[in-house]
Amino acid sequence: MIISGVKWVAAAAILIATAYLLGGYETDLYRKLLLWIALALSYNFLFGISGQIAFSHFTFYGVGAYAIVILTFQAGLPLPLAALAGIAVCVLVALVVALPSTRLAGFYLALATLALAQLFIVVLGEGGRITGGRGGLLNYRLPEVFGFQISGPDYTVVIVLVLLGTLALLLRLDRSWFGRACRAIRDNPSAAAAMGVNVARIKVIAFVVTSTLAGVAGMTYAFVDNTVNPPIFGLENMFLLLFMVIIGGSGSHLGAILGAVVLYLAPFVLQPFVGHHHVLVFGVFMVAVILFEPRGIIGILERALAWLKRRRPPTLVGRRIKWRQKADLS
Amino acid sequence: MSDILELTVNATATGCIYALVALAYLLILRPTGIINFAIGEWAMAGAFISVAALTAIVLPAISLPYPLAAIVILVIMAAIGWATERVAVRPLLRRKAAILSPILALLGVLVIMRELGALVFGVDPLPSPPPFGFRRMTLGPFAGTPQNFYIIASTLLVFLGAWLFFERTIWGRAFEAVAIDRRAAALMGVNLNRVTALAFAAGAALAGFAGLLTSAQTSAHYMMGLPLAIQGFTALVIGGVGRVEGALLGGLVIAFAEQFATRYTPIPSGLTLGVPLLLLILFLFVRPSGLLPAKEGR
Repeated sequence: MIISGVKWVAAAAILIATAYLLGGYETDLYRKLLLWIALALSYNFLFGISGQIAFSHFTFYGVGAYAIVILTFQAGLPLPLAALAGIAVCVLVALVVALPSTRLAGFYLALATLALAQLFIVVLGEGGRITGGRGGLLNYRLPEVFGFQISGPDYTVVIVLVLLGTLALLLRLDRSWFGRACRAIRDNPSAAAAMGVNVARIKVIAFVVTSTLAGVAGMTYAFVDNTVNPPIFGLENMFLLLFMVIIGGSGSHLGAILGAVVLYLAPFVLQPFVGHHHVLVFGVFMVAVILFEPRGIIGILERALAWLKRRRPPTLVGRRIKWRQKADLS
Repeated sequence: MSDILELTVNATATGCIYALVALAYLLILRPTGIINFAIGEWAMAGAFISVAALTAIVLPAISLPYPLAAIVILVIMAAIGWATERVAVRPLLRRKAAILSPILALLGVLVIMRELGALVFGVDPLPSPPPFGFRRMTLGPFAGTPQNFYIIASTLLVFLGAWLFFERTIWGRAFEAVAIDRRAAALMGVNLNRVTALAFAAGAALAGFAGLLTSAQTSAHYMMGLPLAIQGFTALVIGGVGRVEGALLGGLVIAFAEQFATRYTPIPSGLTLGVPLLLLILFLFVRPSGLLPAKEGR
C-alpha cells in the first residue's frame, strides 16, 4: 500500500517537474501527449478490457470540450458547474447510444457509434452561433476559478492530475469485481452471463464511464489550444486512437501508454521518410500486429524478456524445471 | 406533384446505391459473421478506378468504352476482395482467432486503402461521365436523369441475380448452409475457405459496382467511403440482416427518409446525415431483427 503510494507520488512528481522544464512549443506537445495517453487508457478499458468496439471516444472528447466552452461562455455558468453539467451531457449521450446497442449481440455498438461520430461532426458544422460552425469556437480563455487564474505550467499540472486520476480510477475498476466482469464478458459473454454477470448492464456502465473519462479529458483540452473546432474530433483521430491501443497491446494499461507515446511521436520520426503519409504506415503496422503479434508492443517486449532470460547460461536444475513447466502448460 | 415524383426517382436511385453496399455487407456477413467496414473504401476504389478507366483525368492514355470499363472494374475489385481475404482474413480464421480480429484487420485495410486513394488519386473529387449523358428523361409520370434510371435498373438486375443465386444455385445453398452453421456445413462437404474467398471477391465487386454507379452522381473522392459504409450498414439493419430483399428495402427506406426530410422539413441539409442514425437507434430499440426477419433454417 505504502509502496504503491510512493510510486504514484513519484510518477506525479516526475510528470509535474517535466511540465516546469519545458519551453512553449514543447509544453504544447507535452500537454497533448498527456491527453492522448489519458484517452488511450480509457479507450483501452472500453475496447481492450471490455471488448466493445466503439468509434465514439473522440466524439465524447469533443462533447466534453464543446460542452464546457459553450456552458461557460455562452450560458455563463461558473467553471465548476459547467464541468459538472458537461459530465452530465457526456453521460446522457453515452446512455442514449449504449442502451439500445449493447442489448444485442453482434457489432451494433460499433455501427451506432460510427454513425454518432459522423453525426457529431455534422452537428458541429451546422450548429450556427452555438458551436461556431466549421470554424469552431475561439478567442476564449480559462476563467478564474475561486479567484485563481491558472496558466502556463500550472495548467499542465491540471492535465497531469486528470491523467493520473484517469489511470487511478481505471486501475481501481480493473482490479475490482467490475473489471473482472468486463474481462469475462469480453472473453465469453454467455459464460459470464451464466456466472451471474448482468452482461448488458456491465457493458453500458463500462461504455458510459470510459466515454465520460474521454469527455473530462476533452474539457481540459478545451483550454490547451483555447479553440475547439470540428476536425479535431473526427474519425481520423479516432482511428489513430484505436491504432494506439492495438499496436501498444490491447487489454494492457502499460500497452495503451506505450502505444500512445510511440504513435504520437512516430510522425516526427517518420516525417523525413514518408512525409504526411504516416497514417498509411500506421495502418500497415496495425494489420501486421493483428496478424503476427495480437498483443502488440507488450507482446514483443514479453518475448524479448523471455528470450533474454533463456540466454542466461542455464544450470542443469534450472533447465529441468523449465522443461517440466513447459510440459505442464501443454 | 411532379416535384414528389422527381424526388421519388432521385431517392430510389440513392437508395439503390445504399442497397448495393448493404448487399455487399450481407454477402460477407452471412457466411463469415464478419462486418467488413472496409466496404465503403472498396466502393471508393471502384469509383476511382472508373474515373481512371473512363476518362483521361488520371491515366491520359486510357479511356475505355463503358461496358468494357465496367468489366475491368468488376475484375479488379474481385481481385482486391480476394487478396484482402487471403492476406488479412484467412490467416486469422485459420488460427481460430476471435471474430473481432478480422474485423479489426479490415479496419486497418480501410485506413490503408483510403490513404492509398488519397496518395494515388489526390484529394480533389473526380467525376466520371454517366454512360447515358445528362439530359432529362421521362418515363410515364416519372422524370429524372438517365443515370438515375440506369442505377435503378441495374440494381434491380443485381438483386434479381443475387436472389436467384441464393435460392436456385448450389453455391447459394452452400452460402446459406455456412451462414446457418459453419461446422455442419463443413461436415456436409462445403469448402469453407472457398465460400469465404468467394464472399469477399463478390462483396468487393459489388461495392466496386456501387462505386462505379455513384461516381457519376457524386464524383469519386477519398473520403466518400465511410458515409457509404454507414448508410449501407444502416440499410442492412433496417431491412433485416438475414435476407437479400432486406438490403434493398432498407436502402430505399433510408434514402427516402433522408431526401424527403431534406425537402419537406426545415432541418438544414447537412443534418440529414442524422436521419440514418435516428432510424438505426429506433430500429435497435423497437425491431432489432429489421423489417424482414431472417428465414428460419429449412
